[in-house]
Amino acid sequence: MKESGNAPYWPILPSAIALAGIMVFIFASFGPPASSSGFVTTMKGFFLQFAPEYAANKAHYRAMPGPGSWLMAFVLGMAIGGFIAGRTFGQQITDIPAIWAQRFGTSPAKRYATCFLGGFLILFGARLAGGCTLGLFLSGSTQLALSGIYFGVVIFGIAMLTTHLLFKNKRD
Amino acid sequence: MADIWIGLFSGIAFGFVIQRVGATNPQKMFLAHLMRERYIPQFMLLVVMFAAIGLFALEASGGGTTRPLPTSIVATGLGGIIFGIGWGLSGYCPGTCWAAVGEGRMDAVFTLLGGLAGTAVFAHLHEALIPVLYMPTNIGQVTLTDLFGNRGVAVGVLVVLFGLSILLIGKLWGNENG
Repeated sequence: MKESGNAPYWPILPSAIALAGIMVFIFASFGPPASSSGFVTTMKGFFLQFAPEYAANKAHYRAMPGPGSWLMAFVLGMAIGGFIAGRTFGQQITDIPAIWAQRFGTSPAKRYATCFLGGFLILFGARLAGGCTLGLFLSGSTQLALSGIYFGVVIFGIAMLTTHLLFKNKRD
Repeated sequence: MADIWIGLFSGIAFGFVIQRVGATNPQKMFLAHLMRERYIPQFMLLVVMFAAIGLFALEASGGGTTRPLPTSIVATGLGGIIFGIGWGLSGYCPGTCWAAVGEGRMDAVFTLLGGLAGTAVFAHLHEALIPVLYMPTNIGQVTLTDLFGNRGVAVGVLVVLFGLSILLIGKLWGNENG
């Protein structure tokens, strides 16, 4: 059992080669891949529809393409890829992770509210820093950018600390 | 128009692979952050190692578009701290939550909605925050090549650094897989 590895998931070495290949393809066909920017594109689309003057006046939206762009297609593609992969995967998904249920119970409201807050923070932080796990850490470090390595060290450290405090390192 | 099809194809391939390796599963992400699951962090570092070598080869053959982001000591660090708290709480990051929504995870849907709200609030405050937090400590688009003087050497340093981190994670992290 100890040596069962990552099953039922793909082994990480070929998966990493595959994802690195996809990233190099993106560098060759478009530019540095990013995903938190896709949230800006989505919100820009929303404001272009309902408050076009606001979208035109805010620097953050001016700097980013709207819908009908590579970025929008990429994040929607990610959802489609996740859908196809999930539908053809042997393991059932859960709405509440088991470790969360052990600590906080199975109330969906608690989990969903925490996720809303978590989602708010990851995007607020990513937009302040200029990118996320993909746009800043993975793409950035691939381009040898200091910003990517610096951001990577901080996010891993703080996420580990936060998760340790959240679960109080409880034994199960 | 070609851009949209290339983006869609790239996204589908990306989303498929990150689901298959388990990065869209917040249970695995929590265990990884608790140092009980080594595969996700090792996977991420391996991706960077291979992609950095691939990009080096691509650029040597005259292709590729790069745009290294600048480093702002305060904004990159503070953004990372805020991001890290959110990542630790939810078990999702901006990319994985799109794929996890496609996979059908309800908690990812709420992460995505929170993300759209966080984006809107930041974009609203951009003009007030960027000049104060980002610009004063912006040291520009610094890369390892600037520090080591040679692109090949810099790629070598990155590969060694990330390779050692992967070995260290293998020693210190457990091998639960969620």
